Amino acid sequence: MENFIKKFIEEATDLINALEESVLSLEDRPEDKELINEVFRIMHSLKGSGAMFGFDKISDFTHNMENIYDEVRNSEKQITKKLLDITLHSVDHLRNLLNVNIAESKEVVQKHEELNRKIEEFLKSGRTEKQKTDTRINQQTTITSGEQFASYYIFFEPNSDIFDNGANPLYTVDDLYELGECKVFARTEKIPHLGKYDYSTCYIYWEIILQTSLDIYEIEDVFMFVEDDCKLKIQKISDTKIINNKNIIDALSKETKIDISKLKSFVTDIVVDNIVDEEKKVSDKIKKFKQESEITSIRIATEKIDQYINLVSELVSAHASLKLFSTKINNSELNEIAENIGNITEEIRDNAFNISLIPIENTIVRFRRLVRDLSAGFGKNIEFVTEGTDTRIDKTLLQIITEPLMHIIRNCVDHGIEKENERIALGKPPKGKIFLRAYHSGSNVHIEVSDDGKGIDINKVTKKAVERGLINFNVVLSKEDVKNMIFTPGFSTTDKVSDISGRGVGMDILKRKIAEARGDIDIDFEKNKGTKITLKIPITLAMIDGLLVKIGESLYIVQLMAISKITDIFYSELKKTKKNVAVIDGEQIPFYFMREEFEISGEYPEENKFLAIKYKNKNVGLVFDSVVGEYQTVLKSIGKLYKDHEMIAGATILGDGTVALVLDTNKLITKFSDKGQQRIRN
Amino acid sequence: MAKTILIVDDSESIREVVNFTLENAGYNVLIGIDGRDALKFFDGKTIIDLLITDLYMPNMNGIELIKSVRADPNYRRIPILFLTTESQRNKKMQAKHAGATGWIIKPFVPAKLLSALNKVLR
Repeated sequence: MENFIKKFIEEATDLINALEESVLSLEDRPEDKELINEVFRIMHSLKGSGAMFGFDKISDFTHNMENIYDEVRNSEKQITKKLLDITLHSVDHLRNLLNVNIAESKEVVQKHEELNRKIEEFLKSGRTEKQKTDTRINQQTTITSGEQFASYYIFFEPNSDIFDNGANPLYTVDDLYELGECKVFARTEKIPHLGKYDYSTCYIYWEIILQTSLDIYEIEDVFMFVEDDCKLKIQKISDTKIINNKNIIDALSKETKIDISKLKSFVTDIVVDNIVDEEKKVSDKIKKFKQESEITSIRIATEKIDQYINLVSELVSAHASLKLFSTKINNSELNEIAENIGNITEEIRDNAFNISLIPIENTIVRFRRLVRDLSAGFGKNIEFVTEGTDTRIDKTLLQIITEPLMHIIRNCVDHGIEKENERIALGKPPKGKIFLRAYHSGSNVHIEVSDDGKGIDINKVTKKAVERGLINFNVVLSKEDVKNMIFTPGFSTTDKVSDISGRGVGMDILKRKIAEARGDIDIDFEKNKGTKITLKIPITLAMIDGLLVKIGESLYIVQLMAISKITDIFYSELKKTKKNVAVIDGEQIPFYFMREEFEISGEYPEENKFLAIKYKNKNVGLVFDSVVGEYQTVLKSIGKLYKDHEMIAGATILGDGTVALVLDTNKLITKFSDKGQQRIRN
Repeated sequence: MAKTILIVDDSESIREVVNFTLENAGYNVLIGIDGRDALKFFDGKTIIDLLITDLYMPNMNGIELIKSVRADPNYRRIPILFLTTESQRNKKMQAKHAGATGWIIKPFVPAKLLSALNKVLR
């Protein structure tokens, strides 16, 4: 059962997310029948399975919501802002109810009652008179029978086509035996001659005397499935036991379709008529339900995918060894096999990465909600537009960047976009716009968040920086300086502390967080035009496109995306430069001798490779002995013992089993430059 | 020989509970995730003794599934139960009209499921 509950929680979480998305879409398209149906269906699903797995509150709660949306479906109610507000609150509440740790907390219980009250009020409001009458009629039925024994005459004649519905009337008759004592008379006179007999037709009907302590509703229940496909009469003939009344049994043995009054005459007590005569014909028109959005996926535990990816990496390495070996042996047959395996391995690898990537869409929904709630809170009118939400990225990375993105969007709403009157005064459209765009660029995903708000005022930043003592009062900051300033710890241009964005931007923290994902963050702005923040994130952490380089006998991998150019350069020329700044293609580039920094003994070769690395919008050179080639590789962690070696991002195993360290050039250069500054100070 | 029951429900948790209950009771169980998916079992070769289906499902809902099974000469007489939470007569009648034999009201305990089953399959 535990497992079932776990499954249910996963499933319910998905449903609730889908619900939120539909409700938000309803805001834009309140007339969309399909969306309304979807909301109804999800509520219905949650209600059913909630009750199954002991989440009674969820079931309770969705029951009423389902009713509301049923009325909306039937055009008895309209989608209003109030209804959507209640529904969105309900979405949050459902999430809480699903969380067993807090579902019973005082707050949640209180919220439950409050929301239930709201929903009930809403249900009552705008009800037509007719519906009220309907409810009254339903309540009129009352139960009269008591605990005593009573005897009933049952006439049961299935329609001749009853088999068409897959029913078996014999089972039904059989079930009566469970209610009490029975005398069953099967009437077979309608069965035709064998030549005319049709096996799909029911020719038999039954007359039954049943003596039971259960009330008439229990008897009706037995006929529950067939009541619409038969002639059925259940009549009480006595409030006593009559099953052994010889007269009655005799009469039924001799006579079919017997008159009830005749049976009654055999018993002397007073008989209460309680006739249920059921001959109902229903001609409900069957509604066509539109095909809903396709589900073509299955659920796999994330650790299983991780395992799979790991195995695939092993396969890639194993193949590399095979390839190396086959080249050495130089047997054409073996080469062919190795090549074949190579092709398949490549496909499997691509496929595996594809599987482990998820679209950013699910996360975006939360942002839509965030913008909606925040802009209401700030009294701003903001539209949230997205593009490329089907862009896929590694799930771990998505998790890492979700919070920073949330922060960025918050900043847009809080600090970026102006109030409506300010916007009008500036000649802007009154409705602000936040635009989120995601797209692939090489082995990276770019996510841009831009707004059409007030942008960043360079003068204001300068003033603040002077106040903070970060710069001298006479310094004029360029746009580039401001960009860098923004990512300085503790820097904020907001004067006021707001509830939502807290003490301001905290862009330095975002930058650090994004760096965790081996990504980069960039900002662009223009006063009164808006701000654009771009995140560059690798698609996956497990795989890197690298350049294999050599110092002496040691091999290293530098991420291809970090390299802006590679140049051949003579050692003697580099030695001549002042303060380790080389001029490459007219650009002054500070550089480091890797052999020196890594303290690898041996002579420098005469011809070196100069790798210009992108670092904080500039180029910094790293000098290696030689370049082996491009290398796409699986990144392996080098274990806990080495986790403090920030300059090394990980390791990879080359085809021949050699280990190459993967350099984190960003951190490496930071470290070198810190060391350099220390040297100068000392 | 054990009877074969086809369960069709878009909710994995419901499917698993029904599956668990039925397998414990000694039935063979086939599983469909929605109406359209379930159709693959109605190939004229697979023996299906009973169909249990949800009504609200994406792609093809329960009513449509019931109708399509009833239209298939190989399976037109198999008993069909549908799962429903509504005691609303309207929906039930729609399903019955489409050809369902009976229904099971959610939520159900295993005993209730088996007793409903017992009404149509022995």
